[in-house]
Amino acid sequence: MSRQKYDSIVIGGGHNGLVNAAYLARRGLKTLVLEQRHVLGGAAVTEEIYPGFKFSVFSYVVSLLRPEIIRDLNLPKHGLTILPLESTLTPLPDGRYIYRDGDAGATYRNIQHFSRRDADTYKEYGHMMYFMAKAVKYVLGIVPPDPASLNPLELLELLKMARHFLSIGEEQFYTLVKLMTMSSAEFLQEWFETDPLIATLSASGIIGTFLGPRSPGTAYVLLHHYMGEIDGAFRAWGFAKGGTGAISEAIASAAREFGAEIRTEAPVAEVIHKNGRAVGVALQSGEELYARIVVSSLDPKLTFLKMIGESHLPSDLVEDIRAFNIRGSSGKVNLALDRLPELGVLKGAGPHMRGAISISPSVDYIERAYDAAKHGDIPKNPYIDIIFPSAIDPDMAPPGKHVMSCFVQYAPYHLREGNWEQRREEFGDNVVNTLAQHFPGIKKHILHRQVLTPWDIEQKIGITQGNIFQGELSLSQLFFLRPAAGWAKYRTPIKNYYQCGSGTHPGGGITGAPGRLAALEILKDLGK
Amino acid sequence: MSPSTHYDVILIGGGHNGLVAATYLAKAGRKVLVLEARSQLGGLAGVEEIFPGFHAPVGHADTGLLAPQVIKDLRLESHSLAFHDVPAAVFAPQPDGRALTLWRDPVRAQAEIARFSQKDAARYPDYLRVMARLAAVLAATAAEIPPDIITPSLKDLFPWARVALKARRLGRKDMMDFLRLLPMTAQEWLDEWFESPAVQATFGAPSVTGGMLGPQSSGSAYMLLYQQMGAPNAGYRSARFVQGGVGAVMAALARAAESHGVEILTDTPVARILIEDGRAAGVMLQDRDVLRAPVIVSNLDPRRTLFGLVGPQALNPRVMRRVRAIRFKGSTARLTLALSGLPRFKGAPDGHDHLAGYTLICPSLEYLERAYDDAKYGRISAHPAMELHFPTLHDADLAPAGQHLMSVTIRFTPYQLEGASWAKEGKRLTDLVIKTLDSHAPGFKSLVRHTHLRTPASLETDFAATEGGIMHGQMALDQWLMIRPVAGYAQYATQIPNLYLCGAGTHPGGGLTGLPGRNAARAILSHRG
Repeated sequence: MSRQKYDSIVIGGGHNGLVNAAYLARRGLKTLVLEQRHVLGGAAVTEEIYPGFKFSVFSYVVSLLRPEIIRDLNLPKHGLTILPLESTLTPLPDGRYIYRDGDAGATYRNIQHFSRRDADTYKEYGHMMYFMAKAVKYVLGIVPPDPASLNPLELLELLKMARHFLSIGEEQFYTLVKLMTMSSAEFLQEWFETDPLIATLSASGIIGTFLGPRSPGTAYVLLHHYMGEIDGAFRAWGFAKGGTGAISEAIASAAREFGAEIRTEAPVAEVIHKNGRAVGVALQSGEELYARIVVSSLDPKLTFLKMIGESHLPSDLVEDIRAFNIRGSSGKVNLALDRLPELGVLKGAGPHMRGAISISPSVDYIERAYDAAKHGDIPKNPYIDIIFPSAIDPDMAPPGKHVMSCFVQYAPYHLREGNWEQRREEFGDNVVNTLAQHFPGIKKHILHRQVLTPWDIEQKIGITQGNIFQGELSLSQLFFLRPAAGWAKYRTPIKNYYQCGSGTHPGGGITGAPGRLAALEILKDLGK
Repeated sequence: MSPSTHYDVILIGGGHNGLVAATYLAKAGRKVLVLEARSQLGGLAGVEEIFPGFHAPVGHADTGLLAPQVIKDLRLESHSLAFHDVPAAVFAPQPDGRALTLWRDPVRAQAEIARFSQKDAARYPDYLRVMARLAAVLAATAAEIPPDIITPSLKDLFPWARVALKARRLGRKDMMDFLRLLPMTAQEWLDEWFESPAVQATFGAPSVTGGMLGPQSSGSAYMLLYQQMGAPNAGYRSARFVQGGVGAVMAALARAAESHGVEILTDTPVARILIEDGRAAGVMLQDRDVLRAPVIVSNLDPRRTLFGLVGPQALNPRVMRRVRAIRFKGSTARLTLALSGLPRFKGAPDGHDHLAGYTLICPSLEYLERAYDDAKYGRISAHPAMELHFPTLHDADLAPAGQHLMSVTIRFTPYQLEGASWAKEGKRLTDLVIKTLDSHAPGFKSLVRHTHLRTPASLETDFAATEGGIMHGQMALDQWLMIRPVAGYAQYATQIPNLYLCGAGTHPGGGLTGLPGRNAARAILSHRG
């Protein structure tokens, strides 16, 4: 076809879209990425919101990015530098704190103040999670087999997987079953007795979900967050120099080097398809672009219902996608400060200020925040995960000044009363008031504040309900059920139209895995 | 009983699963002795006299879950067990003065639903069809012995291949729905089907049976499906009852057992299980008498059996940890009221037909979730979610002439109260329940003659159920199938040779199914040749 300018068009310039494009371009496909915003990265962006203050506006830490992607795309060459984020400090209302960092000795000494037994167990727990994450990592690298298929190859894949998991050992196998089914709090209660330690560890199990620490299913999310590795160090978290946007920029730079073209401010209105076959996209500007294949990195609701339209899809799939659970549950408050604030429980600007500070003092505290949100209310005292990017990377703020990134849960997308435009600042006030309980005097150092509710996230970057994982990571939406039964292999009922976002296997977080796995499937279909 | 009597099997606990297991074993030629601590058989499925002249069920009321295999194999109908289907599965009064009745007649039920939502009424037949198909697959899993997944044998796996085939025959859509539904929340599942809060709540209420999980907790959809195993055509839980009430089931089970030569001793509490050379060899009664047998089976919950009757020192540390980690989470209280007449609920149709099944005080899933919220922090629900039943409508002899019994199952009553004790809070809960019911049935208060409350604490004391957990271990996905009662011991044998479990703490779990007892007997017979 003469008007076909491209081999592939990728809708959405988030990290998965960019990874996908890079892998396609690497194999010689003439690839175009279309991003609706003026910046690349989707939820992985750095923006100078106030002069001199750079915010990792949404996603703010990195750990899960697949090492094979870093290698294949040679991301360090394209400017990716990950700075370590070694510690987590959890201040408690009674003036004590839990401090955990890469130094096992220091962590032991701190936890010992609460419980000698827990201090002893902590190391063992770390080993166990390390092992489990390594065992489960296997599925991050495979395309989910279809258990309803009658194809012997599919059954063989399933059998191979079953054999993999049965070979990890009896005790480990049962631990894995628990991790797949339990709540994070109850799972951790089998290991520890100190409630604040259980609480702050269980926080990894709720991030990005609309579930409480006592909701079954959150132990899996806990494990999901353990699957990261940085430079071979498992479970390490890091901060990308230049903010999270630097990751997207590095991937984009790699994609461009392979020959991909990237256009920003080019929102796509819909996919053009004829006789059940995608042929291109129509931009909101009216421009039409044609390609041999089209890939969507958008969430499943947008990928199917908006880009294609219900009437062109099988009714089973439409039902499943409508039922796909993509509830927004988190918000972000980014602060510009005239100085580094001081914690009440640990004064000074010690190394703890270059790590994470977690407001998660008890399981009940987090659970109550969840209770408020699940009934559509804004919690007065939410769970907050804080980092000071400028303390790690001074380039993020003007000299002497600082930026503070606060990830907040829970914020329900649907409010019982009013709407987010009216109540955004109330949410911001609750966060700042909660911060002030732990950072006395912080209020007078705030120069600017950016408050992002789930509704704002949806408005700004388009993800339905502002759900950062493009869909809850619940057992009924994982693996061969993500995003829908029968459509977990990155293909769609529309020929030549593929999906590659976090709404596909293996899910959210800056892993790049959906983008890469989708690209490999596409290349397979093209015989490349 | 003469001490020289030889038994092949001693079975501890004369609850329904114990009697079922004993009968299957006796049918296969084993000489079985059943020891029951209380003066009445039945355990949590029994009947107790709460005031002179008033005999009320301890727990179960309906018999819909009782497995057809058990009814057939033990020929319960020939032991004068007569089932009858009642006209209404559930009657659900609403705060706005309306009421929703799910009649057993699907056409009539559909007309009722249409009063709340035309759209929901249109989906109702489809919902019943899908739930019946999915529940049939779950029922097939419930009737099999879980496979040993670590070292599977063909003998183990063969029956499961049949279950898998059954699932495949559902077709792609239903099979995927089955897999998808298990870890879902009841709320998510019902959101896919219905829009009216009253309709959602009426279908969804059974999802929280016996557990400390709300309708927004993963696994609640699985419980919903479990309860559907006994409710093929109403969509609530069973609407199947027995002439004479649940006590008649126990009587039939006891007659079946005795017809095969099972000996049953009541008022005979067991103090401990004797372990010799690491093997179970007999039991010591509380009066210090010793009875010996080569096989000991316990119908008590796994922790009570292994920690209470055996002692943790006999277990290896790994098993001990697993048994300790079982979550029981008692969450159910039972208030039984003696009434001078039947209450008249707002919005109720004429007559008493609507009261023949259950009456549900749970107007929305949000109401149910909030009832759970309170319990999470160790509090009694401010607005309790309740399921009512009138045993005297099935057997008038349970109470003096003209009077009635009402059993109220109160959901989300925590075993451990935060900063309070059941001794004090019991009265408050009773008052709260009566007040709530009075708001739905004006004048109810004046009908109440006596009240009798069973809290999770008293269920533990009187029925040996750890933490008052009526399911002998919460039914959640992490305590399901091959990890029930604990990982590695899902095939009814325990770590102690010659000691087996047959209660609700084993697969497939709680409810008046008889399946744990049946599966256990089959496992013992195949294990021991």
